[in-house]
Amino acid sequence: MSSQAPARKSAPATKKNKIRLFGREYQTNEVMVGILFILPTIAFMVFTFILPVIDVVQLSFTNFNVKTRTMNYIKLDNYKYLLQNEEFWKSLLNTVKYSVMKLTLDTSLALFLAVLLDKSIPLKKFFRSSFFAPVVVPMVASSLIWIWFYDPTVGPFNQILGWLGLPESQWLYHESSALWSILLFSLWKGVGYNIILFLSGLQNIPDSYTEAAKLDGASEWQLFWKVKFPLLRPITSFVIMMGIINSFKVFAEFNVMTPDGGPLGSTKLIVSYIYELAFTNGRMGRACACALMLFALIFVLTQFQSMVGARKTVDID
Amino acid sequence: MMKLNKRIPAILLAALMVLSLTTGCVSQYVDKTTEAPVTTKAPETQGTSAQPGTTDAPAPSTEADISGQSLSVWYAVSGTSGELFNSLSEKFAKEYGVTLELSYSGGSGDTATKVSSALLTHTQPDVALMYAGPLYTGGEGDFRIGELMNTTSDFDKADVFEGMLDYCDYMGEGICAVPYGISTQVMYYNKDLLKASGVDMTNPPKTWKEFYDVLGKVMESNKDNDKIKAFDTNDEAWLFKSMLMQNGCTIIENNNGEITPIFNNEKAVEVADYWKSLVDAGYMNAAQHSNAEKAFLAGNTAFIAASSNRISRWTGTTTFELGAIEMPYFTQPSLALGGNVLVILTEDESKLQAAWKYVNFLANAENNTTFALGTGYLPIHKSAMDRQEVKDAIAANEMYTVAFNQLQYTWAYTHFQEMGTMDTQIKSALGKLEKGRGTSQELLDKAVKELQSEIDDK
Amino acid sequence: MSKTKKVKYNYNRHTATFIILAILSLAMIFPFVWMILSSFKTAVDVYQYPPRWIPSTWNWKNYSTVFEMIPFLRYYINSIVTTIAETALQIIVSVLAAYSLVHLKWPGQGFMTALMRSTMFVPMVVTMIPMYLLCASLGLIDTYSGIILPQITTAFTTFLLMSYFASIPQDMIDAAKLDGCGPSGVMMRVVVPNTKGAIATATLFSFLGNWKSYTWPLIITTKTEYRTLPIGLKYLTMESSSEYQVMMAAAVMTILPVLIVFIFFEKQLVRSITLTGMKS
Repeated sequence: MSSQAPARKSAPATKKNKIRLFGREYQTNEVMVGILFILPTIAFMVFTFILPVIDVVQLSFTNFNVKTRTMNYIKLDNYKYLLQNEEFWKSLLNTVKYSVMKLTLDTSLALFLAVLLDKSIPLKKFFRSSFFAPVVVPMVASSLIWIWFYDPTVGPFNQILGWLGLPESQWLYHESSALWSILLFSLWKGVGYNIILFLSGLQNIPDSYTEAAKLDGASEWQLFWKVKFPLLRPITSFVIMMGIINSFKVFAEFNVMTPDGGPLGSTKLIVSYIYELAFTNGRMGRACACALMLFALIFVLTQFQSMVGARKTVDID
Repeated sequence: MMKLNKRIPAILLAALMVLSLTTGCVSQYVDKTTEAPVTTKAPETQGTSAQPGTTDAPAPSTEADISGQSLSVWYAVSGTSGELFNSLSEKFAKEYGVTLELSYSGGSGDTATKVSSALLTHTQPDVALMYAGPLYTGGEGDFRIGELMNTTSDFDKADVFEGMLDYCDYMGEGICAVPYGISTQVMYYNKDLLKASGVDMTNPPKTWKEFYDVLGKVMESNKDNDKIKAFDTNDEAWLFKSMLMQNGCTIIENNNGEITPIFNNEKAVEVADYWKSLVDAGYMNAAQHSNAEKAFLAGNTAFIAASSNRISRWTGTTTFELGAIEMPYFTQPSLALGGNVLVILTEDESKLQAAWKYVNFLANAENNTTFALGTGYLPIHKSAMDRQEVKDAIAANEMYTVAFNQLQYTWAYTHFQEMGTMDTQIKSALGKLEKGRGTSQELLDKAVKELQSEIDDK
Repeated sequence: MSKTKKVKYNYNRHTATFIILAILSLAMIFPFVWMILSSFKTAVDVYQYPPRWIPSTWNWKNYSTVFEMIPFLRYYINSIVTTIAETALQIIVSVLAAYSLVHLKWPGQGFMTALMRSTMFVPMVVTMIPMYLLCASLGLIDTYSGIILPQITTAFTTFLLMSYFASIPQDMIDAAKLDGCGPSGVMMRVVVPNTKGAIATATLFSFLGNWKSYTWPLIITTKTEYRTLPIGLKYLTMESSSEYQVMMAAAVMTILPVLIVFIFFEKQLVRSITLTGMKS
């Protein structure tokens, strides 16, 4: 395999090692190894994604009912039904509300804390661990604790609000606070994840860059916005992309904390709605159509995000 | 990954999707239901198993030797109920030499999911203890249990409460399950709180009107504590359905398989108005039913309507003295049944006898009573009331008296596919009603309309 | 970050930083403290108003109640076995894929990337039924493979690794090539050794992702001996939703081992994250 050693990017290699495919030149061994290495991924993808999704696409045009096992081709009826359905729009709106807040708060808080943790202060390791600890604990187990916190009568949160002289809240049990209560929980649960990502990014910034900026007399504030933040862009971009995907797909914490969709359906998100369609009502066809619409939405958003992200990178260069 | 042209993958992806439609990469289960695309209720899924029940009546060989057989069983009850179910099953296994493979299948929702998916792939258990069982037997055209009840002498139908047999019916077409782990709602109350409020419960309120006055007294004497509420329920749809029936609204009408929801008629609106008055007067929290149980256990609620299985679960664990009264009513006492049923799902005809024996063993007067007393579910046999252990239980815990007395006026509507949707609609209507998002009539009309369109959309 | 900087430069700002971090980190830890204290409470303590923070008596019974209610240990072991297997497979597959996509050139990479990204868009709840049918036809119901294989979703780990792999300087790779390394040689000798920290992070994240799965293991298993911990916890909450103290005991037993492993693992993890840094 080392026979192609002289092949360097810049150096013109012999014709033998090169292969022309779709109007571009590739190195034969790279193509071979590259495809070999991607094969396991493809194998799993076929099994866990492509085959099921083909079914999902097909089912979305049928009225497949898991319970009665009816299955007729009904063209676009499922999509029409969803677009006219009040609950679909409501759950979509809830999802958007949650996603926007979660994305903004989670990313900015994580970045802020990562910057603070990047300084040399006492107990730094302890702080870092404490932020990351909630991430590692199982979701169901930790949400049990929070359900208790939110208990309007015997939970400690209302007690603490009382000490601070603030009015009590109904937390999970009021339509105006339920979604935000779960958001607070998911911030606690998730912020450490992004802190670690940002922190690793910050620590990868070569000292020479920051030293140089400091010599130029940059303040901490300038140092962050002019040097560190631009260098963190790949990580930020990754965090935001994952944030979009995960917050639109969120299900577990909502299902555990408000299994019935919360007061007046205020915590029913799009995936909870899909779940209800598929399993409570057995309407698999509709659930599939809804899932594909969610798919399309996330697809568009992430494409948009990566375009914006890409353009910004160019600007900085 | 960012620098590659975005459009090409997007187009290719779209192409893949379109391709998947045209090439008809036929999903594995289409041929498993029926080859024809138009299938209403695939009777074939039951294969040959459904026929023997209907055509050649099961041989009266009820004494057939079933030892050496094995049965797989899923059950949807956990904790003490699950343990008791297990130990009774093991007793059967020992007595009959049958191997039982028992497995807990999660709560009612999870079990329904599991059974639905298992039926698609023919990997269902032989027997299941689950909620809404008739949907998975009668709903599949399988009325073997009903046939077996008629053709064998094992099961004494006459001794079973009528409402419970209705609870095992699918679309009025026949019985297709055996009641087991049945419950009704009971009106529990916090004796200490009521005593402190100066309410005398020796003559408990009988009607909702009287009950309303009692709630008023509770609130009056706890004016200065805004945490105290007089009443709540942890299952509003269930209670509301009972109340509808008590006021003469039968909830649905079944005309030869045509289900029509009618819970928006005059009678139903009266009930909803009463419900709203509880919130308006401040006796009940608006839309906080999911926290009702905890609030009650914390001693902040005077009355709670909750399942009778709480009798065993709560007794001895509350920080206050617990009591129960019969459910108040409007014009006639009436209570909707809830809880589980036993169904036989096996496709293996040779296991039918063993499964039936097992179901009968669990549901016979002796074992069913043991289960009932151990769990707070209700005995299904009228004769159970004469059994010594029931008398002892009543003597030891007055709440059993209440639960058992209520059995006289229980009822159930027939099972139909959209009953889950109905509960969701009722819940959502009540939630909005409590929050003042519409009048009783508007909200019930909307719920009925939505349910009707689900029913019509086959 | 040298020490001299900190001492002479804006001591006050560091004090502010310290205070902010201290308050927030106490808030992060509070749930755990509450959980441990509460797991010893009695029902009377739980339903007292105002809430009681310290249990009146140290009551161990809640722990034994958990064991009475669910085969806790069995569930735990199942969770660990399946999660480790899923994680190991995921990491191996992802390292190969990430390397192939970042450092090798072959036709169709853009399509592959887009396809992989789209695998993350579809919520598991819908693919579950088709996948269940597929697994049933392959005879995977009630097997460890049935739990493990369908949950191998490599997209996230691959993308995470890709963003780290991309940070390896091209000249390092070119140098290795000059030394006579082929594509797989470059991966083993340059890419993997230089991104150990990233791979450790990815492993941890993938472990955490797999650890919590609930619905799939529930559907694909019918026997108790294959059930995993999240199912056990759900089982418990359904039966004892009002017995907070019992749930806390279960939570302690679920969470503490993870936390302990984490404390040991974290040192490694963070050190390797720092080591990954391509400080020039």
